[in-house]
Amino acid sequence: MNEDLYWTLVDIANGLLSGVMLGGYYAIIAIGLALTFGVMRMVNLAHGDMLVLAAYLAVLVLQFVPISPFITLALVIPVMFGVGYALQRFLLNAISVQSMERKGMSAGFGLMSPILVTFGLSIVIAHALLGGFASDARIIRNALSYSAVRLTEDLNLSTLRLIFFVIAVAILVALHLFLRRTHAGRAIRASADDAEIAPLMGIATPKINALASGIAIAIAGVAGVMVGMSRTFQPFDGPVFLLVAFGVVIVGGLGSIVGSLVGGVLLGITQVLAGTYFGPSAQLVAGYILILFVLAVRPQGLFARRR
Amino acid sequence: MSISAPEQPALLTVKGLSAYYGESRALYGVGFAVGKGTIHSIVGANGAGKSTLLRAIVGMMNRGRAAHTAGSIEFKGRRIDALPTEEIVGLGVTMVPEGRRLFASMSVEENLVCGAFLPRCRGTLGETLEDVYSLFPRLADRRQQPVSQMSGGEQQMVAIGRALMSSPELILLDELSLGLAPIVVDQIYERIAAINARGVTCIVIEQDTERAMRVAGAVSVLLEGRVVLEGDPDELGRDRVSAAYFGIDSEGQGG
Repeated sequence: MNEDLYWTLVDIANGLLSGVMLGGYYAIIAIGLALTFGVMRMVNLAHGDMLVLAAYLAVLVLQFVPISPFITLALVIPVMFGVGYALQRFLLNAISVQSMERKGMSAGFGLMSPILVTFGLSIVIAHALLGGFASDARIIRNALSYSAVRLTEDLNLSTLRLIFFVIAVAILVALHLFLRRTHAGRAIRASADDAEIAPLMGIATPKINALASGIAIAIAGVAGVMVGMSRTFQPFDGPVFLLVAFGVVIVGGLGSIVGSLVGGVLLGITQVLAGTYFGPSAQLVAGYILILFVLAVRPQGLFARRR
Repeated sequence: MSISAPEQPALLTVKGLSAYYGESRALYGVGFAVGKGTIHSIVGANGAGKSTLLRAIVGMMNRGRAAHTAGSIEFKGRRIDALPTEEIVGLGVTMVPEGRRLFASMSVEENLVCGAFLPRCRGTLGETLEDVYSLFPRLADRRQQPVSQMSGGEQQMVAIGRALMSSPELILLDELSLGLAPIVVDQIYERIAAINARGVTCIVIEQDTERAMRVAGAVSVLLEGRVVLEGDPDELGRDRVSAAYFGIDSEGQGG
């Protein structure tokens, strides 16, 4: 075979592979945002900060017990679930559109309040982390950072990325089964479809919203630990991940788990290939071009649920 | 207010019920009682407050400053007017809402299963589901079909089936005939009679006064937020009900 062609194909194959792997990780960053918006019609602007919070939580655990970063998930997941549950139950439920109407405010007030409150929360979390951990860049050290799986002589895959991809797909499948096969999962979907009618099924929507938020933030927690293992992070990095999540949700479409995975993979492939051919600075730009393209051509996203 | 069916204990008693949307008032001291096992029709023109009345019974008017009620609603002797909707449903009252309001992203069976969310219903879910399918065989063939692809009549069957999944003692039916062909409406009401024959008490709202009077054992006529006439539809007769419906002052109690 012509040598130039061979190397071109290798480059593309490597780009596609790592793009797909990156996509799984992006999907996990975004799925919580999609779930929260789908059910509560609320945008959580502190979503990215939740990831960073989880990463610092893992750092904190590892300071005391020298275990594998993966084992910190046993603590990170339940703690972040509790954070998400409490956030919705005791703060966001009180400022929902329904609650605002109850207090005699307009619906517009109810739409705006969660945006302002979660924006404020984002700042509070970032500053609390700054106070607790200072602004030094951290990374969650792990044995797999430089390990790679060799597929062929010239085709490699980062072991860490492969593990993340497997975890991401496992989480998405578990979430899908939970939403389809359990009473609580169906109640979440029922509330997303028609929040006014769901209580007629005996569904206590404030609790179901809190459950959905708990799950969303717990998954964000897993994503946060993954982020912390693959790159350095600082207290003010939350908005970076919020933007990734928005990108995935725009490309894939809201309210669809498959959409989140496909959106993540497309974004991942676009960024990696752009990085390969036009240099690292092209990565982010290429991602935004994809987002703009989808917004222009199919603004509801590729896998949007029909309403 | 008079009790309409003295030979049977009242399942639901509404007394002096007023309802407000913000500052505007929709009901003015409405009272009536629904006997156990009966079909009770509520008739009235557009804007008479029929839907508001049903929404109040299932707690959907408890929305603070946006909407609230005054007066009492008792179900089996227990005050329910301050309870949230999910607790009222837990006690055995449910509603088929106006416009069906199915969960659009779900299949027929998923919609039905959603109706059995209450812990007390989950154990018998399989049996209740088969019950609903035997009542509406057309749904049994379409279990996996998305509800968004079904005809209006089929959707109405899903909505009724979904309400039955919570094993209610009292079911409120809001304008079942809305947007449906007369022959389909006949089929649906024939099923309502079958449901009632199983001991489920029904409150029916219908624009079509004749149909409402034909199916019901008792009728209340609502005019501008007040009950202006009530009783046995056969005893009252069509003319008196129509007069009350339009607020014609023949009885000396209209508008």
